Amino acid sequence: MRPLIRWAARLYPPRWRNRYGAEFDALLDDISPSLGDVFNIIGDVLRVRATASDASLVWAPVSQTMRLPVIISLTSHALMVTLILWAAFSVTPMPLQVSVAPIPPPAPEAPPVVTDARVFPDALTLYSSLPLTTSAQGDAIRLYVADGVGINFLPLPDIGARYRQGDIERRVWPGRALEAFIVRRVLPEYPHGTNTRGTASVFVEYRVSRGGSVKVLRTSGPMPFTSAAQSAIEQWAYRPLQYEGRPCEVVSRVEVRFDSEFAQSGMSQ
Amino acid sequence: MQDPTILILASLADGDKHGYAIMEDIQVFAGIRLGPGTLYGAICRLEGCGWIRAVKSESRRQPYRITAEGSKHLKEQLALLGQVVRTGNRRMREA
Repeated sequence: MRPLIRWAARLYPPRWRNRYGAEFDALLDDISPSLGDVFNIIGDVLRVRATASDASLVWAPVSQTMRLPVIISLTSHALMVTLILWAAFSVTPMPLQVSVAPIPPPAPEAPPVVTDARVFPDALTLYSSLPLTTSAQGDAIRLYVADGVGINFLPLPDIGARYRQGDIERRVWPGRALEAFIVRRVLPEYPHGTNTRGTASVFVEYRVSRGGSVKVLRTSGPMPFTSAAQSAIEQWAYRPLQYEGRPCEVVSRVEVRFDSEFAQSGMSQ
Repeated sequence: MQDPTILILASLADGDKHGYAIMEDIQVFAGIRLGPGTLYGAICRLEGCGWIRAVKSESRRQPYRITAEGSKHLKEQLALLGQVVRTGNRRMREA
């Protein structure tokens, strides 16, 4: 599929290719192209060529050098498009006969056991029960909650990046996007035994498995705050995540902020 | 909300992104996968309108940034969309 989509990208006018060609090729390297993407590009090529305000900029490089190789190239492109369209509309799918053992129904999932008053059964409850302030930096959402513990969803510079380990592919999603899928959140306990005063930040990178369970990959920050953050975050649970209709694993990062002042007063901000 | 130009402006509202990052971001926050042709068709139009601009980069992946005019246009479109949503919801309740 990749050669086909590169061929389709070459149909853009030269002026368009000069401006966007390199970055467009980089995009095609990043995606997993489908036949739909090929038609999507061909459709945009037709739109660009049909709506260019200065037609000479689009067609002139071809018409001025309209020699035999160019004519052959254009003809072969047209034939290839015709063949693809013919194949797409004329192939009749054969009935699929596959015998497989019946799949046992999935075991009913036990509801989360609420052992802590600070366990929130779903995201809506979380949002509706907490004061929510928007920070001055972009639209990062900070949630300061009772007992001096807050969660800050960080803007991630590598959003959408893919990491592959064996057969498993992981994608980087921002924590804010994951909020739509969360079913259980346990907020960290402020470690009252510490002498730390003021604010302590812990940065946590975690992985959400295909089943929705959470595993902390790494933490950064002072002890014992990192332990408190890790043990709480590993109790979070999400609905199974999907990307392009397929189950996927996701990596995200949050900042957990501990504030001794609010922890002592028992107040929230 | 299928207009790719508004989706791209919304994606760039929280920072610069290159084409693939925009595509992934929109997939995450709107559940819509823009095809590469649709994406670059919209980027081309947005750049032509002066609503986004390319940011200098050494990489092949060209990041884009929303301009002040782009932010203004996005706010207007979101306000209009909010008005439509509020009106639709109110009429659904009254029906």
